Amino acid sequence: MEKKSLWKKITGSREALLFVILILLFIVVTAFNSSFLTPNSLQNLLKNNAVTMVMSLGMLCVMLVGGIDISIMSTLALSGMAIGMLLKYDHVSGTVIPFIIALAIGAACGFVVGLVISRADVPPIIATMGFMYIYRAMGYLISNGGEWASATALGSFSDFATTKILGLNCVIWIIVICYVFFYWFMKWTRTGRKIYAVGSNPEAAEVSGINVKNIKLLVYTIMGILGGLGGALQVGIYASAMPDMQKGGEMDVIAACVIGGVSMSGGRGSVIGALLGSLILATIAKALPLIGIDSLAQNTFKGVLILVVIVVNVILQRAADKNALSRREM
Amino acid sequence: MAGKSGRTINNVPESPVKKMIFSWEGILVLVLIGINIFCAIFSEFYNLSSLLRQMPTYLAEVFLMLGMAYILVLGEIDISVGSTVCLSATLACLASNAGLPFVLVFVVALLVGTACGIVNAIILTQFPELPPMIVTLSTQIIFRGIAEIVLGSGGSVSVTNTDGFRAIGGKVGQVPYILFLVLILAVIFAVILGKSTFGRRVYAIGTNRLAAYYSGIHVQKIRFLIYSVMGTMSGLCAMFLISSSYGANTTTGQNFEMDAIAMAVFGGISSTGGKGNIAGGIISAFCIVCLRVGLGQRNVHAQVILLIIGLLLIGAVGLPNIVGNIRKSAKKS
Amino acid sequence: MKKKLISVLLCATMVFGVVTPVLAEDSGSYGEGQKIALVGKSAGNAFFEIAAASFVETAEAEGATVDIVYPEEATADAQIKVLDNLISQDYDAICLSANDTNALQAKLEEAMDAGIAVSSFDSAPNAASRQVFVNQAGTTAVAQALVDAVYDIAGGEGQWAILSATSQATNQNAWIDAMQEIIENDDTYADLELVEIAYGDDEAQKSTDQTEALLQNYPDLKVICAPTTVGIAAAAKYLQDNGSSCKLTGLGLPSEMEAYTGDDDEHSCPYFYLWDMEGLGELSAYATMALINGDITGALDETFTAGDLGEYTITEADDGGTEIVLGEPLEFTPENVSEYAELY
Repeated sequence: MEKKSLWKKITGSREALLFVILILLFIVVTAFNSSFLTPNSLQNLLKNNAVTMVMSLGMLCVMLVGGIDISIMSTLALSGMAIGMLLKYDHVSGTVIPFIIALAIGAACGFVVGLVISRADVPPIIATMGFMYIYRAMGYLISNGGEWASATALGSFSDFATTKILGLNCVIWIIVICYVFFYWFMKWTRTGRKIYAVGSNPEAAEVSGINVKNIKLLVYTIMGILGGLGGALQVGIYASAMPDMQKGGEMDVIAACVIGGVSMSGGRGSVIGALLGSLILATIAKALPLIGIDSLAQNTFKGVLILVVIVVNVILQRAADKNALSRREM
Repeated sequence: MAGKSGRTINNVPESPVKKMIFSWEGILVLVLIGINIFCAIFSEFYNLSSLLRQMPTYLAEVFLMLGMAYILVLGEIDISVGSTVCLSATLACLASNAGLPFVLVFVVALLVGTACGIVNAIILTQFPELPPMIVTLSTQIIFRGIAEIVLGSGGSVSVTNTDGFRAIGGKVGQVPYILFLVLILAVIFAVILGKSTFGRRVYAIGTNRLAAYYSGIHVQKIRFLIYSVMGTMSGLCAMFLISSSYGANTTTGQNFEMDAIAMAVFGGISSTGGKGNIAGGIISAFCIVCLRVGLGQRNVHAQVILLIIGLLLIGAVGLPNIVGNIRKSAKKS
Repeated sequence: MKKKLISVLLCATMVFGVVTPVLAEDSGSYGEGQKIALVGKSAGNAFFEIAAASFVETAEAEGATVDIVYPEEATADAQIKVLDNLISQDYDAICLSANDTNALQAKLEEAMDAGIAVSSFDSAPNAASRQVFVNQAGTTAVAQALVDAVYDIAGGEGQWAILSATSQATNQNAWIDAMQEIIENDDTYADLELVEIAYGDDEAQKSTDQTEALLQNYPDLKVICAPTTVGIAAAAKYLQDNGSSCKLTGLGLPSEMEAYTGDDDEHSCPYFYLWDMEGLGELSAYATMALINGDITGALDETFTAGDLGEYTITEADDGGTEIVLGEPLEFTPENVSEYAELY
């Protein structure tokens, strides 16, 4: 009996399960290469995946209301390229102002996406596919047809990515702040609970007086803001702005959320889940070259691992709620 | 076909002629004519023969649209098709270079494609609670990954004996074979989706899966079949791609899924399921092909073309909704 | 040392070569009325833009018109569609940088049959599908320079690794093959151990992951050689930020690499290479115009005059076709990198 209840405890909570998977991954990788589990290596892991980690918070909100956003990396490219060009031609300088500009551009992009989805009832996948093309094209156009902004052109902007505060890199602090904020926002604020309500049952939410359209507008705007933040981070971390940066990266963010147990039909998912999901994905990406997988076979392994993680998740989930299975969607 | 057209499916029956013109397909035909007039004015080189000459590379993607239409009607999505194209093209090239006769090479491409489709189908039907997007995302990475492994360093293969591929890339007069094949397959796919019991069941699943299940439809069997056929179509697409490049590499078919989805959605096939038909998809495919050829002939920047297609997509889906909303609120007041 | 001196001298002459035509721009009529299409690998590539800008400037000064066309993506499929578009128009010549060696053959043959001259630069399609290829620097020369740099930076012995773009990247594969051949056949490099060829897919994030993995798998790694512009910048950034003892060389844009170039421990890249990008554009323009005018046909040993660049001879390429080699690769050192960063 005792054993069963512990098993139930682990399988009952998706987060606990993911945590176990993450620990297992860590152990396996460390067994192959002990240098993986050093503070420096872990800091670099976080820093190199900051963009995905931060943006999966936005994707969490979007997916909670049953939506999806595949335009995010185009938003990232547009806002990142914009500040890159502004810095290159000395229209702005420093760190704070470019960050604010990037966030503003991201917010505007997200707001437009949200308007189209909430007011014109365009299915999210279609609307964001359209904006994926549109924002990416705008990114190209503002780059004067293909200029890059290099480390020298960016000046002191990218210094934040190499500065440490209290022993931790600034980029990592940004991640921590984002996660703490969203944890509080989703759990303790009225708006956060409304997002969950809309996702679980839009009709019920509407009846109970929640403006579903505005909530949808809000989540896409949040996603946009985080896309803008991602743009600033990308430019800062790699000290380079190019119009085609992170092309295709949106799928990583979606995968991180799904691995983290965020339901694509809405209503289910948590900040901790998004964190664990993106960490698992980040660990896989870092581990593949580290454990000596042939460089040509790394992509296949990545795909197989993602598939295995989500399938294992489903199997354990099934074991957890056998009774409810008959009522599940097919 | 108009009777079962997507955007009017819930409308009260009106006079057939009026319905035909005001259906989405009717509008699309007008759009197609409009695009052709625009292109003819815009580009001095735009005429039937240049269009027919440039069409084949785009038409290969229409095969994918045909399969994708069924998946979208189901209310699902398959983003692994581009990678399936890559893997079947790669293996077909290798089979051809290994000395297999062309017929067998063709069979290899179709089989590899189907096999990829079946892999998707098995995972999706065994674990129906998994979202198709995420499953096909991982198989997207895997299929292209396998092609990368097979191709090794160099990442590219070209066929040594191009006779067979030249043959299927041939023409009757000015009309390429592939155009006939696309049209024939479109008719077959349209009839099955629009007129057969099977097709009605697909719509039923797309409209309300649970209701379809309880009314005795073998939901998983139908999903299995559709995903497998999607794979076969990818194999077909691969063969015609090779007929223009005589080879394959690790980037073959990249982002074709997006093109296929765009064609289908612009044609009125809703990504939320249960709506749309092949006729709309085919007309919209030609709209997009003509527009791309026309703009391309004046060297409009590729990114600007994508921007226009993005706007078209959003407009095509958003405008009818906005008009509908305005009408609704007008009626209320 | 002698080599360095020569390359510095070369650099100096190149700079003059770049500056003088701007001062004395006499518009010729070598390309009067010609219509040329310049096809890139993909949009948004700063590297290509520089050569393209100089191509356009040169050709237009000679009276030709140039349209720059990009495929939607960096794939052969997309380039085939672009070529289809170009064949429909009445171009005199197409000059392209190919995304795949063999895949464009059918379309380029169709273009040549339609009477369009086909030249290529930067990245060559196979010998059958081009009339002439303007090579930025001989493949072997680039590979030799890189191997020598690795040898020099590593101090003659030790482990080194290559960080490339994708496994399908035509240019990178050619250089890597040539480098491996050089190392195998020359005993000088017997003490150098090439431990791995990693692929960063020309993405900053993946390149960083790969660089880090190289360092963690091979703690004694002395040099990383990254013959790709995105890869070298990402690796340089990583090595510099982490104060790694592993150094970097390869092929990169001076503007991207300026912040990382230096002889001291503060910087991750002692020196690196590229070629005269503007010269590449200029030479390609002249070669294309010469092709249209019938002054050259792409046959071996033909010669032509490329404006201020002087006389060039068509030589045999490694792939069995013919090529025109622009010159030696340029070396960018801490001394000259900021000067070049202004240019590209």
